Amino acid sequence: MSVVNNTPNKSNWYFSSILGGLFITAKHLIKNLLNKDKMITLNYPEEKYEYSPRFKGNHVLTVKKDGAIRCTACMLCATNCPAECIKITAAEHNDPTVEKFPIAYEIDVLRCVFCGFCEEACPVDAIRMGPEWQTPGSNGSQFIYDINHLAYRPQLKGGVVSVVDEVERHKSGI
Amino acid sequence: MPKCTINGQEVEVKEGSTIMQAFYQLDQGIAHYCYHPGLSVAGVCRLCVVDIEGNPRPQIACNTVVTEGMKVSNQSEKIKDGVKWILDFHLINHPLDCPICDQAGECGLQEQYMEYGKYNSEMAEPKVKKHKVVDLGPTVVLDSERCILCSRCVRFTDEVSKTNELGLFNRGDKTEIGTFEGKELNNKYSLNTVDICPVGALTSKDFRFRQRVWYLKNSETVCTGCSTGCNVKVYYNKEGAFRVKPVFNENVNGHWMCDEGRDIYKFVNIEHRQTLAHKMIGGQKSEMPAGQAATEAFQVVKSTPSEKLAVVLTGQYTNEEYEAVLKNFKTKNVFHWKNLENSMNDFDGLLIRGDKNPNTKGLEAAMKAAGIHTNWNDLEKSLSSGAITTVVVAGPENLAVYPDFADKVKLMAQAENVIWMTACHSEQFKAFNQSAFVIPTKSYLEKAGTFTNHAGLNQSFKKATTIVSHALTLSEASFLLTGQSIPIAVAPQAAAFVDVDRRADQVMIENRKKNEFVFKRGSL
Amino acid sequence: MSEVKYLTEFYHLNEFQGLEGYKKNGGYVEAAKALKMKPEEIIDEVKKSGLRGRGGAGFSTGMKWGFLPKNNEPRYLLCNADEGEPGTFKDRLMMERAPHQLIEGMIISAFAINSKKSYIYIRGEYDYPIACVRKAIEEAYAAGYLGKNIFGSGFDHDMDVYVGAGAYICGEETGMISSLEGLKGQPKLKPPFPAVQGYLRKPTIVNNVETLAAVKYIIRDGAQGYKKYGTEKSTGTKLFSVSGNVMKPGNFEVPLGYPLKDLIELAGGMKPGRKLKAVIPGGSSAPVLNAEEAMKATMDYENLASLGTMLGSGAVIVIDDSQCMVDMLGTLTHFYHHESCGQCTPCREGTGWLDKIVHSILEGRGRLQDIDLLIKVADNMKGRTICALSDAAALPVLSFVSKFREEFEFFVREGRSQVKGTNYAQMHH
Repeated sequence: MSVVNNTPNKSNWYFSSILGGLFITAKHLIKNLLNKDKMITLNYPEEKYEYSPRFKGNHVLTVKKDGAIRCTACMLCATNCPAECIKITAAEHNDPTVEKFPIAYEIDVLRCVFCGFCEEACPVDAIRMGPEWQTPGSNGSQFIYDINHLAYRPQLKGGVVSVVDEVERHKSGI
Repeated sequence: MPKCTINGQEVEVKEGSTIMQAFYQLDQGIAHYCYHPGLSVAGVCRLCVVDIEGNPRPQIACNTVVTEGMKVSNQSEKIKDGVKWILDFHLINHPLDCPICDQAGECGLQEQYMEYGKYNSEMAEPKVKKHKVVDLGPTVVLDSERCILCSRCVRFTDEVSKTNELGLFNRGDKTEIGTFEGKELNNKYSLNTVDICPVGALTSKDFRFRQRVWYLKNSETVCTGCSTGCNVKVYYNKEGAFRVKPVFNENVNGHWMCDEGRDIYKFVNIEHRQTLAHKMIGGQKSEMPAGQAATEAFQVVKSTPSEKLAVVLTGQYTNEEYEAVLKNFKTKNVFHWKNLENSMNDFDGLLIRGDKNPNTKGLEAAMKAAGIHTNWNDLEKSLSSGAITTVVVAGPENLAVYPDFADKVKLMAQAENVIWMTACHSEQFKAFNQSAFVIPTKSYLEKAGTFTNHAGLNQSFKKATTIVSHALTLSEASFLLTGQSIPIAVAPQAAAFVDVDRRADQVMIENRKKNEFVFKRGSL
Repeated sequence: MSEVKYLTEFYHLNEFQGLEGYKKNGGYVEAAKALKMKPEEIIDEVKKSGLRGRGGAGFSTGMKWGFLPKNNEPRYLLCNADEGEPGTFKDRLMMERAPHQLIEGMIISAFAINSKKSYIYIRGEYDYPIACVRKAIEEAYAAGYLGKNIFGSGFDHDMDVYVGAGAYICGEETGMISSLEGLKGQPKLKPPFPAVQGYLRKPTIVNNVETLAAVKYIIRDGAQGYKKYGTEKSTGTKLFSVSGNVMKPGNFEVPLGYPLKDLIELAGGMKPGRKLKAVIPGGSSAPVLNAEEAMKATMDYENLASLGTMLGSGAVIVIDDSQCMVDMLGTLTHFYHHESCGQCTPCREGTGWLDKIVHSILEGRGRLQDIDLLIKVADNMKGRTICALSDAAALPVLSFVSKFREEFEFFVREGRSQVKGTNYAQMHH
């Protein structure tokens, strides 16, 4: 452990800097006291900052009108993911018009870099980056989001409906 | 041997060969779907149109025989435009569901559309709806909408498997592939139809939805399903092997392979494998890595007098391994464990043989070369009489083709000491209740070597992947079991001095620039 | 000029159907004569007569026979009585009124090409003609004109009727051979041509009913006698099936080179108060002629080819000014969409595409660029397939759109027919 020995002739000059610092603090204190609306800091747990609607927060898997998962398990998001945090297991659906769907869809959020490539790669609007960002957990396993969490967590109130509709696609002959 | 000119390049082809074959010979690009070198010519996709000098109408390359001095070209604007349109005709009723199609990534339509496509399709009408997810049989699923009706699969069942299950039904744009009433596609070669399908219309039930193909690497190897030794490509990634496809070899398997051989990748995967070595001493079982087990087993081998030691080999290992075993053990008590002895010489006329080992011929040759002529019955007798106390068994990898496996395990369990080397785990090993070692070995995908097929043809193959990393090959195990250390092939030493300016693996700046993603402002 | 009754001389007699009546009017005289000749002489005579196939393609019959390989393989003679071309109904008349005429022509032809077995492929819808031909074959067997040692010449011949299921594509010769072999009626890849490898992979000659019947008359009058009729390159007479908006539709036998204008007059002319608008001169797959072209056209292979169309099977469809061309094209494209065998991609997908485009125009969903798209699609279907069905579907589209473009544009703009003033639903209730 090393100790820094200040030389006496250096230590004479600290007092003016402290005054300068105090002055800045006092300036902001008075400024904030005079007009509270323009205050930058928030009282965090009580007040929360509202982000832009384009904020890339935690992932949401969208659902179809009937509440089933929209995802077709094409794995383009997983292919595109630079952090390799998406793991999908596909299976055959009983309905031949659906054909392929994910039985497991896991995102390791601790690995995720929130780049949004998955959202852009998705051909059927099945994955979106939602507005949430406050997602604490007590151990590592809580940061691996499974399909139920991604699509049906309580905050989503029964799931976000995808803009891509199967019936309409079928009608328009796609 | 007529000579012709293809796009200005002269080529000499075999008598009676078509323009398409000349294109193949020159490795020149030509769009085609229905033509397959292993099948008859159908001439229905109409993509391979070419200009022949002196012929006013464009002809299809697959059905036009080359004549002396023919001048062929497919580079004119007229031909290119025609190909674009015909490719667009293929696509107007194709569902374009590439994201959920298993073929995406290795699809003929995708590849050829990138090269010859029209890009601005003018189709604005609704597409024809056909049947989805049609169950054709135990192995294959059909999606009629994706089908481009090249009729390769129909011709395959007609000409190669000669079972005629598939046919074309209905007319016009409602035409569909299908099986006849009450019949299903269940021949022993049915999965070849999936291979030759240029689109994702026929998919294998086994591989369906398990992986996207771009996650898979592939490596060429030799099929161990039977003594034919088909040349195959194994597709694998870090999760294990996923499928097997045939590779063209004129002398062995042509373009095809059997369905049985396609299942051979399964036992290689970790869930079937012996992952750790078992050591059994006086009913006490302990687990350890393979190398340690082999080293400890050497003590057993050393304490056995050489006439009381027997080595049992199966036809599932490579020639190199047999050589190493026979050289290291120096015993004449080497026995050949033959499975399915009655149907050994069966042959179905196309590929499948009754001998379900890849290397029976190789083992026989190695034993003959070492001057070993033994009889299996001698082993059984000496085991029961106690004349042999220690057996070293190189057990089979593919347990499914060894119906006598349980009996043989029980037979070997009579010996005082058993050293059993195996790639796959089996419940039968519980029969060993005294001194026994079970040592994991590498499967055929994890090692390089040579197999000798039924006709005596030596086929070498390379290592594809590693699944059980500490498992030993049979030669490594034989070194350890005889108290030697495994010889390590030393890589040739690099030159002592390299160019001062540059490391050997340095990426040069011009190469780096090529790989860099250049963001152009405004281009999005 | 009036009709020339050459092949159809006795068609008005009911007794001509039966063997007795047929023999009374000069039947089986030529067969007996021909079987005493040398086969090569018959082929030569047919070659010299300039007889051309009456089924549609107009290929020289004598030349076709000459393509047979010179060996002793069994060979087959097939009579194409499928008559699928919309607007054609001449073969039906010939088989109903004079089945023995066809049989006699076939015996002579079979002798000329040394075939021991022949089939008459009749479409399934032709119930009555099938019955007539079957009865006539029975009569011919009973009289010894078929079977072993015909007319004591040592020539054996068997004849059979094969009933098709009525697919248009089975009128194409290789499609017919496939159907006859029991396969799906799909054209086969050429080469090999049927004359080299046809039915059961043996040399096969396929000829139309009218062509085979005409052989009898070439033997009767000799090549020179036959060449009296018609033009220099299109010899002989031909039955034209005139249908559409004429007063008296029906079959008319006239020499080739006959003016189309007169042929329409022969069929009773236009309906009162109606003007000629267009004529399809050779069955639905021939490009359409507008009124001016129709007025100067003569019915022979060369003249029609110079007008960009073809004689085809001789089905003249007359269209007057009360017809909507868009609606007519809709009917034609629907037919080809339905009849495409589905083998070659441009035809399988193209016919469906054309049909959908025309119907979206008809149903009021059309866009102006659809008219150009029709031309582009049809252009790219032409000459790209195994058989000629793709061309048959593309050519009418090209000619309809290029010659009556304003009607199509009106339909796209207004959603209703320029001629009838009503939309598609109203036109077809």
